[in-house]
Amino acid sequence: MKKKLLVVALITVLATGMLFAQGTKEQAGSQGPLEITFWSLFTGGDGEFFDAMVKEFNASQDQIVMKNDMVKFDNYYTKLTTALAAKTAPDVVVIHQGNLLNYVPSGSLLPLDSYFDAATLNDFQAAPLDACKFDGKLYSIPFDVHPIVMYYNKDLMAAAGITKVPQSAQEIIDASLAVKKATGKWGTAIDNTTGVYKAYTLTRMFISMLAQQGGSLLTDDASAPNFNNAYGEKALVWMQDLVHKYQVNPTELDYDAAMNTFKLGDAAFYFNGVWATGTLEQQAGLNFGAAPLPPIMGGQAAWAGSHTLAIPVQKNQDPARVEAAVTFIKWMTSHGEMWAKAGHIPTRKSVAQKDAMKALPYRADYAAAAAFALPTPRTPAWEEIYGTLSDKLEYAVTKNQNPKAALADMDKTVRDIIASY
Amino acid sequence: MRHNPKKILLRIFELLIIFIWVFPLIWMVITSLKLEQDVITKTFTFWPRNPTFANYTKAFTSTYILNWMGNSFIVSLGAMLITLVVDAPIAYAFAKIKFRGRNVLFWAVMGGMMVPFQVLIVPLYLQFNSYGMINTLAAALLPRVALPIGIFILKQFYEGIPIDLEEAAFIDGSSRYRIFSKIILPLGQSAMATVIILSFINAWNDFLWPLIVINDTIKYTITVGIANFQGTHGTQYSLIMAGAAVASIPQILFYIFFRKKIIAGIATSGLKG
Amino acid sequence: MIPGNKDTRDGIVFSIPFLFVYLAFMIYPLLSGLYISFFKWDILSSANFIGFTNYKTLFTDEKFYTSLWHTFEFVLMTTPTLLVVGFLMALAVTGTSPYKGILENIFFFPYIFSMTVVSTLWAWLMQKDWGVFNQALMHINLQPVSWLTNENLAMWSVGLTTLWWTAGFNMVLFSAGIKQIPKEVYESAAIDGATYLQSVRHITIPLVRSTTVLCLILQIIASFNVFGQVYVMTGGGPHGTTRVLVQYIYETGFRYYKMGYSAAMSYILFLIILGVSVLQYALLGRKDQ
Repeated sequence: MKKKLLVVALITVLATGMLFAQGTKEQAGSQGPLEITFWSLFTGGDGEFFDAMVKEFNASQDQIVMKNDMVKFDNYYTKLTTALAAKTAPDVVVIHQGNLLNYVPSGSLLPLDSYFDAATLNDFQAAPLDACKFDGKLYSIPFDVHPIVMYYNKDLMAAAGITKVPQSAQEIIDASLAVKKATGKWGTAIDNTTGVYKAYTLTRMFISMLAQQGGSLLTDDASAPNFNNAYGEKALVWMQDLVHKYQVNPTELDYDAAMNTFKLGDAAFYFNGVWATGTLEQQAGLNFGAAPLPPIMGGQAAWAGSHTLAIPVQKNQDPARVEAAVTFIKWMTSHGEMWAKAGHIPTRKSVAQKDAMKALPYRADYAAAAAFALPTPRTPAWEEIYGTLSDKLEYAVTKNQNPKAALADMDKTVRDIIASY
Repeated sequence: MRHNPKKILLRIFELLIIFIWVFPLIWMVITSLKLEQDVITKTFTFWPRNPTFANYTKAFTSTYILNWMGNSFIVSLGAMLITLVVDAPIAYAFAKIKFRGRNVLFWAVMGGMMVPFQVLIVPLYLQFNSYGMINTLAAALLPRVALPIGIFILKQFYEGIPIDLEEAAFIDGSSRYRIFSKIILPLGQSAMATVIILSFINAWNDFLWPLIVINDTIKYTITVGIANFQGTHGTQYSLIMAGAAVASIPQILFYIFFRKKIIAGIATSGLKG
Repeated sequence: MIPGNKDTRDGIVFSIPFLFVYLAFMIYPLLSGLYISFFKWDILSSANFIGFTNYKTLFTDEKFYTSLWHTFEFVLMTTPTLLVVGFLMALAVTGTSPYKGILENIFFFPYIFSMTVVSTLWAWLMQKDWGVFNQALMHINLQPVSWLTNENLAMWSVGLTTLWWTAGFNMVLFSAGIKQIPKEVYESAAIDGATYLQSVRHITIPLVRSTTVLCLILQIIASFNVFGQVYVMTGGGPHGTTRVLVQYIYETGFRYYKMGYSAAMSYILFLIILGVSVLQYALLGRKDQ
């Protein structure tokens, strides 16, 4: 009995120690490298490429050790927001450009203008960098741009006798019908049903096609919806027709299924962000090409996201840690060719010139897309608009809802959402 | 009677049910032994075409899965111990001591079961932050130690212990504390076992709270850790199934060891309702 | 009556450890949540007091109503099913089958797995194109089923998963109740010529009544708080038809940065669950006494 008690006591003491352990913090003022922390939302394939970069950064110098902790995408912002509220966020974080407005007005992010000289900033492409500026101040640094692009299956196109990558709305329909007739496979794979992810692809296509006609999803000041018109109707009807009128796109297709359908060679044209490249090129026997989003509705425009790197405001901001964070951001952005392996387009002009970058297949084919990438509308309501529109478009496309009714409903919903912020 | 065809049919039906109930778990293991290209494939095969432990190797070598399990153990054991220490006395009080406000207090405690946890997250986070406890395993477990269902189970059991035993002890001059520790606790072992299991399972399976309160990847609990097996874009089923299988091993062992007690214990709570 | 009445003092002393923990980690954050619900707050900026506006808003919020309705749907779907299945399982494991030991273990076993594991596993089983359920259906020349992507089926599929996962818990409660019933009651019924079904109907069901009430209350609380399974398996889809209230609460607070509104909805849900539980207790519990 005594022995038992002793063991229990011992375990309790040990466990208590571990329970309250907060991990190794760097000792202030001591020698050795400075450890700084980073939270990323990259898991799976993206995560592996990213970890490799961090590892190389740590090996490249002996002043700073970057510690990368990853959180699955769905829950990342929940965690980040609570940490920022308590001012316990790490030294560097990744934030999508479209989410910046949820963090900038509250003063949660450090303005970066004084930490980057003009020469460095000039090396960035103007559009993604401008998207990180609010009221003239720079709050984050674009790490990549990831526009929606079109992947095409060369074998299926050849089997259907198509020699040119289709560009217009009608060409895509014709090519899809030809593929279906010749091979029995699907023409397009645009996911239209919520699975692991919402049917964001529909919203991304919708935004792109509005802009291709000279329209936009929201008004310029992001204060009201702007799609309940002929532009919106044309874009919506095209997506509905692929599924219902021409039946070249599967219905009840979720994100994973769309990716797998194209991966297995069951669809000729696949629309997704550039991040799919990394996965697709690992598929044995898939003979595919990648192209910027075609001018389906006439003009050139494509929805794009952008991962940006930002420095949170801390309770006691340590200048040495901020400097280290800046060094890390500079290193990461100037080694964009490593991140491009995951499919993303780097943001620095000097990276585009690197031989390592030019040697990567596919990326060069769609790098041009960055030029007509659409920035996310500037409204704190964006996340809710994006999610809600995806649900509504999912319904409209899978149910072949009357397009006018669908757009009117979406218009009202978006107005209500904007009014609630 | 022995060859009653009705009975034989019933037995076959039961075997079928057993198979159906176990099948999902078998499928988890089978999937985890496949290569991903044999999972997402047009030529479906039931058994792995090229059986492989690659997914397991990957889970063990490229993640902190063993640390995560260790953390989960610490969190679950901690939650379990504290739950016992705090639940048993109050359950005894509810069952045997007629103090003022007892019923009100009892329902106030049971009401805790009905609270959606989401509403507590932000206040709890700010609270733990003010204690300087963010990124500790203690923070991951403390909100999980107040387990109203545990009190309910223990109370039901203690009510069944005959009052004569206590009265006799009282006459001998024992105090309440002595009665509680020498009579009630030993007699209530099976109900205690249930609470042990439930609090262990409860803490082990917790997801959202540890995710938010723990920052270092190496300090994640296993449920949080394996969630990261899901890629940023797209799902690798074979890898996820391997992760799920590994993450479940401790619970399975725990169950095998305590199986009899769990079932006997939960049962006691159902007796009086 | 126990001599030496120090009941009130003892009651408090024995309650203190729990109450300390409970006040710190339940009551205090719960009251903070109530306080937050009167503010417009994005968690990061300073909060603006807006009185009952959040509560007024939710009564006109279509998404709140649909999500609440989906939660009710899930409760109505799973509560009777899980009770009945749990009861049938209990009958099986308390019967005369030579497999009853195996059955009892097998039925309870899924309960020990975590929500993440169970949901991911079943999402994979029910995957439309590569999941084993549809592969099996196609093997016997049937049409594949859109388990999780068809709006009429998705919630049932989540319910089925929940059934597999937690029915065993109800089984254990019921089988304990059944084991309490004296054998003689059945024996005398058998002598009177009662069939098995008749004795189940007229003896077992009435005598496990108190267990049924307990199961019902626990089950309803659990079903109202459903979130994880839905979130992992369908993400609330197709087009929001399985989005339950707790998911909407989570998204509103943490994805849309409307913490006050999210807290207000949590309180409404809390009141609904409390109301339903009290109502059940009043209607069903009383008759026992």
